Amino acid sequence: MTNPTLEVRNLFKSYDEGQIEALRGVDLSIAAGEYVAITGPSGSGKSTLLHMLGGLDSPTTGEVLFRNVSLGSAIDLDTYRSRNVGFIFQAFHLMPTLRAIENVQVPMLGLKPCSFDRAARARDLLKEMGLENRMEQYPNQLSAGERQRVAIARALANNPDILLADEPTGNLDSVNSGKIMEILIGIQRKRGMTLIVVTHEDEIAHAAARQVRIRDGKVEV
Amino acid sequence: MAAQLSFIGFVRKNLWRRRLRTLLTLCGIGMAIGAFVGLVGFSNAFEQSWLRLYTSSGTDIAIIQQTFLNTSLPESVITKVTALPTVAQATPMIYNVMDLTPEVNALVYGWKADSYEFESLQLLSGRPFHDGRPEVMLGELLSGSLHKKTGDTLEIQGSPFKVVAIYHGGSALETGAVIMPLDQLQQLSSLQGKVSTIHVRLRPAPAGEAPDEYLKRAQAQIEAALPGLRAVPAAERAGNNQFVRLAHASAWGTSSIALLIGILGIANTMAMSVFERTREIGILRALGWKRRQIMILIQLEASVLGLGGGFLGIAVGWGALQLLAAMPQTAGIVSATFPLPLVAEALGISILAGLIAGALPAWRGAQLSPVEALRHD
Repeated sequence: MTNPTLEVRNLFKSYDEGQIEALRGVDLSIAAGEYVAITGPSGSGKSTLLHMLGGLDSPTTGEVLFRNVSLGSAIDLDTYRSRNVGFIFQAFHLMPTLRAIENVQVPMLGLKPCSFDRAARARDLLKEMGLENRMEQYPNQLSAGERQRVAIARALANNPDILLADEPTGNLDSVNSGKIMEILIGIQRKRGMTLIVVTHEDEIAHAAARQVRIRDGKVEV
Repeated sequence: MAAQLSFIGFVRKNLWRRRLRTLLTLCGIGMAIGAFVGLVGFSNAFEQSWLRLYTSSGTDIAIIQQTFLNTSLPESVITKVTALPTVAQATPMIYNVMDLTPEVNALVYGWKADSYEFESLQLLSGRPFHDGRPEVMLGELLSGSLHKKTGDTLEIQGSPFKVVAIYHGGSALETGAVIMPLDQLQQLSSLQGKVSTIHVRLRPAPAGEAPDEYLKRAQAQIEAALPGLRAVPAAERAGNNQFVRLAHASAWGTSSIALLIGILGIANTMAMSVFERTREIGILRALGWKRRQIMILIQLEASVLGLGGGFLGIAVGWGALQLLAAMPQTAGIVSATFPLPLVAEALGISILAGLIAGALPAWRGAQLSPVEALRHD
């Protein structure tokens, strides 16, 4: 791999003063535009790895490089998350007080462009998700599948390079799971984004260009 | 048209989400600001009444003791004062507060019968008192409270005093007061030969000398002639006599306690809000919000609570002042005009209260680790 978007070098992450070792020497390279599935049993460290890749947490030792630049030292993690990464969570995590179109605007609040562009962009993204008639609804008025589609639109709000999804279909039935994965893969192909999905589901893992299996905090070879 | 989300819109929605708590917090800070507006408004109006008392009589300078709050000076210095070239007239007086009945207490002034202070009074009935006689004049407000009229007898500290006149004065501090001969009040107060203050009217400033400069020169002249005494301009004296200072101190003291309680109310609300929204803060951080933005969000919510409480408090305080302006006992002190500087002060304090109350919750919210916050139930 000549030009990785993300590179992980000898990554260790421990909690409780070293009592719990979540990651134990992970090395990984992910190319731009690649679709990678991270799999493994519960507690193996796959979500921790995803958090490190997304700049949500800092490694105990080792480093994560984005376009060959170390996260946390050369790039501020907040800036990296706001400009380069989009997160999708299993539990959707939409703001209950905001309508669908407002939820999509939340990541853009601290950034340019102006408020008119924010609303217009949110509208376009929700249309892309097939939610043009659900924009004014609150999360509790949406189905689980619709909520996850709003969450995907929100993740795309700042036009990130990397989409990180933590069990994105974990709270969905099989029909909606299929739709969501179809949307995610469609976005990844259409926009050439890097898509990294943490999943338990074989079907999703098999659809990925590459599977990275984590066990006991290490990448299984 | 699709909804556009603004930062302040997000703040509003967060506060609206828990309406009852927001409303109760607004009531708490509203009552505190209301107490501030009511009490400080009243004490300011009280100061203005003192100022009117001086300006209506044409007093330019009050001579008082240099150090004591409850000033007392020898009456005999009046001869030295009147001999000064800048002084047109000088009149000694005593003032104090007395319980006239178990229910009614009032300001009592002791004046000389020839005092220029009488010029600002309008006799509604009767005649002025004579020095050396047990006679009193009652302000119209006080005569109503005591149900006394000209010719009646008023007992003060066990001694009978004949009511010789009912008068109208320019200030509530006169219309709600008793005026009696200076010698009579000196006897009642065991202050023979002593007075509280000497009021001075100056001669007109010579051509070419600015009024301020002339006032300063007259002050210096009086103080040079009367070592150990102070000559205070009337406007300054209106703000620093013991009654006004006590009124200001109690108003600010009570308001400060109320404000502290209000601030604690907002701080509690914001701390609970941050705790309940820990996961949401984690999501915002995951979505790229910086610590600074989280702090601004929480501080804005606290400030909006403070400001909202401020408006509510101004309405409450304004209502209280209107009530006082309508009551006969206080009508002459409290004016029904809207005290704009006080409103601006109240709004400033309410925003500041919000910022102080929100500071710690905002800091704590901003310090949350995104991963820890996302794991929070």
